[in-house]
Amino acid sequence: MIGLWHYLAVAAALFGIGLVGFLTRRNLITMFLCAEMMLQGVAINLVAFSRYHGNLHGQVFTLFVVAVAACEAGLALALFLMLYRRGKSLDASDWQGLREVGVSQTLDTEPLAPAPAEEALPTLTPAGARPARTEEEPARV
Amino acid sequence: MPTLPLSAAGQIALAAGLAAAAVYLLLPKPRMRSVAGGIAAAVAALAVFSLWLVQAFGRPSHDAVGTALFALFSTGALGFGTVLVAQRNPARGAIAFSFVILSTCGLFLLLAAPFLMAATVIIYAGAIIVTFLFVLMLSHAGGGPSGENDRTREPLLGSLAGFAFVGLVLFTLYHAAAPAAAADADDPSAPVVGKAALPAPVVTPDERAKLLEAAGRFEALAERAKALDPADNQAAREAARAWLTDYEREVIPPSLLSSVTEPGGTPSPKAASVPPGGSLPRRMTAYRHDGQADAAKARASELYRDAKKRFNAAEDAIGLRPPGTPLDTALFAREAHDTRGDIRLLAGMADLPARNVGNLGLLLYADHLLAVELAGTLLLVATIGAVAIAGKKGAHS
Repeated sequence: MIGLWHYLAVAAALFGIGLVGFLTRRNLITMFLCAEMMLQGVAINLVAFSRYHGNLHGQVFTLFVVAVAACEAGLALALFLMLYRRGKSLDASDWQGLREVGVSQTLDTEPLAPAPAEEALPTLTPAGARPARTEEEPARV
Repeated sequence: MPTLPLSAAGQIALAAGLAAAAVYLLLPKPRMRSVAGGIAAAVAALAVFSLWLVQAFGRPSHDAVGTALFALFSTGALGFGTVLVAQRNPARGAIAFSFVILSTCGLFLLLAAPFLMAATVIIYAGAIIVTFLFVLMLSHAGGGPSGENDRTREPLLGSLAGFAFVGLVLFTLYHAAAPAAAADADDPSAPVVGKAALPAPVVTPDERAKLLEAAGRFEALAERAKALDPADNQAAREAARAWLTDYEREVIPPSLLSSVTEPGGTPSPKAASVPPGGSLPRRMTAYRHDGQADAAKARASELYRDAKKRFNAAEDAIGLRPPGTPLDTALFAREAHDTRGDIRLLAGMADLPARNVGNLGLLLYADHLLAVELAGTLLLVATIGAVAIAGKKGAHS
């Protein structure tokens, strides 16, 4: 039988993966999703303890965690929209001007790989002369 | 089952190192990105983690389907989580996140939380993901390389820091849990490290086996009750009385929850006065003094009380029924079935609690009413805040 400890270990690993994503990624939306993943790890912990203790208090806690996560999602969405309107980018590093005094600026020195060239769209050869306008069918021309 | 020639700490360090290498290789960056190498390292890390999990906390047994589902859902959650972190395209990352949510919901279901499973699917997969896909569409800035999607912030240090944290948490968990987990998993070969910081499970494996046996006997009683002839005659009355006698024998003497073994740990001075065959409530009083033991004690006492109450109800159904009316054999079957369900719940191996939703609602509105109101207020304030933040300045003019 799978015990409490198996769930706790998986929850810790899920939390850790979310933490790595939050620390390393620069896209605001990906960072937010990683934070939500960390919350999922916490929720597994709470529900597993709820099962272990044989009561529903852990599940009630998880419901409140979900409610707070929903609030967080709404506010984060609004913030991202506002930041995108100002900076035309979802890159968190664009806002490093808000860093503390004395912290050095992060500079991207390595160039990005060039975008793959788009394939040219096929062109159709003209099928013939343009038909003359007639009195009977004005709408066709 | 293969074993690793490493100590538990070595296994955790190996898994964390492999996971950090995997994420470092998979993270999008201008150079040093290797998807094949990253996937290989991730699979190796998952294998080492699984081996450590089995060796540290005991081999899961008795429940092949539950074990397989746990493996499926936990692997899905961790795998799709890695995809989310490593994915260059945020829209695909959002889809991977929705799979993480679905896997987590599977784990909730295994943990007997069907309402939470449904709520999480609705709120995350149905609302948050869709909303974020809308934001992604609004802010889509072409398909070329961009700093936000193709660069990462300190990938090496970030991976090392994150997985070092996970390794420390797992090591702490191992030290805290190994003795209790070994007892819980019926696996005497599991190592015992240090002193248990968390108490052993309140129901020992022997007691669990006894409880399940008792549940089986009540199931047989329920089947017998269904086979009783409900016609109003002397034979039916005699058969019902024989059934009641058997029910009483199961419930009252010998005690339904008698214990044949004593739990680990140092007995308190009070334990000396408890006979070795004492019931679970009495044993709890003697050996354990914490909230969990109190909860199990209360549940065991309640079970015993309910079983007696059901016996009285069945007895009344025979003794007080008006002459000429048929026996209510369905009542007998229901009482025996309910008792069997309660026993299995106490054994920790019950079917999913069908009344989970009702009990959760009762708990929310009886014990946590103020918190519910506060959560609702918080949601309202967050909505107003989101509107205020996202609203364009001067839109009204």
